[in-house]
Amino acid sequence: MADLVQTFAALGDPTRFAIVERLMNEGPLSAGELQDVADISAPAISRHLKVLRQNGLITRTVDKQRRIYAVAPDQIRNISDWMLSHEAFWNAGLDRLAAALDED
Amino acid sequence: MPDLTLERQFNAGPARVFEFISKTEHLLKWWGPEGVFLPEHNLSFERTGPWMSVMQNAEGQRFKVSGHVTHVDPPKSIGFTWAWHDENDVRGVESHVTIRLVPEQNGGTQLQLSHVDLPEETAESHQEGWNSTLNKLERLL
Repeated sequence: MADLVQTFAALGDPTRFAIVERLMNEGPLSAGELQDVADISAPAISRHLKVLRQNGLITRTVDKQRRIYAVAPDQIRNISDWMLSHEAFWNAGLDRLAAALDED
Repeated sequence: MPDLTLERQFNAGPARVFEFISKTEHLLKWWGPEGVFLPEHNLSFERTGPWMSVMQNAEGQRFKVSGHVTHVDPPKSIGFTWAWHDENDVRGVESHVTIRLVPEQNGGTQLQLSHVDLPEETAESHQEGWNSTLNKLERLL
């Protein structure tokens, strides 16, 4: 559980979330290829990649000169398991119900 | 077995809230976490009988849940059974959901949801500190 709280905290940053989303959609990418997920410097992207790696959300492998990043399936699966938590299910749904009633 | 109870206040009156929790067209607006879509569903709590929904997330994973609507008492309460299906479509432990609507003095509605007879291994036992984290993820998803 503590792990998952850390995971969510790591994902609480829009740039880091965008990186994970990009890796999920496009598969493994180098740091250079990830540079355009946000309008920030290369060192800043590196720092975000490091946080994601320390929290087990992504992995890094070295291919010749290139560092390749990919999502870590286990931790992503933990997030999917979270979807099966009933409290989370209902809280998320009721938030959306409130929004739907307001829009109506 | 852990039981889950949640309460929410809505500005709309009970009749309106009841429509939103019973009619298909409205249920589809809020059923499940943000970011999932429902490729298959039989979602109506206007009548007793079977219901089901398949939720699919952005990674293409499918989660199927089904049950039986056991009572409908507009605009006060709805009851239905609930069980997730596994990847082989085998239906798991059955739990029970009751949603009650209580009118409030200001014209709004208090919704009381109880989800009981849940299997032990689900996350409800980890109450403390969960909500804020989940709300954060909710926004992201």
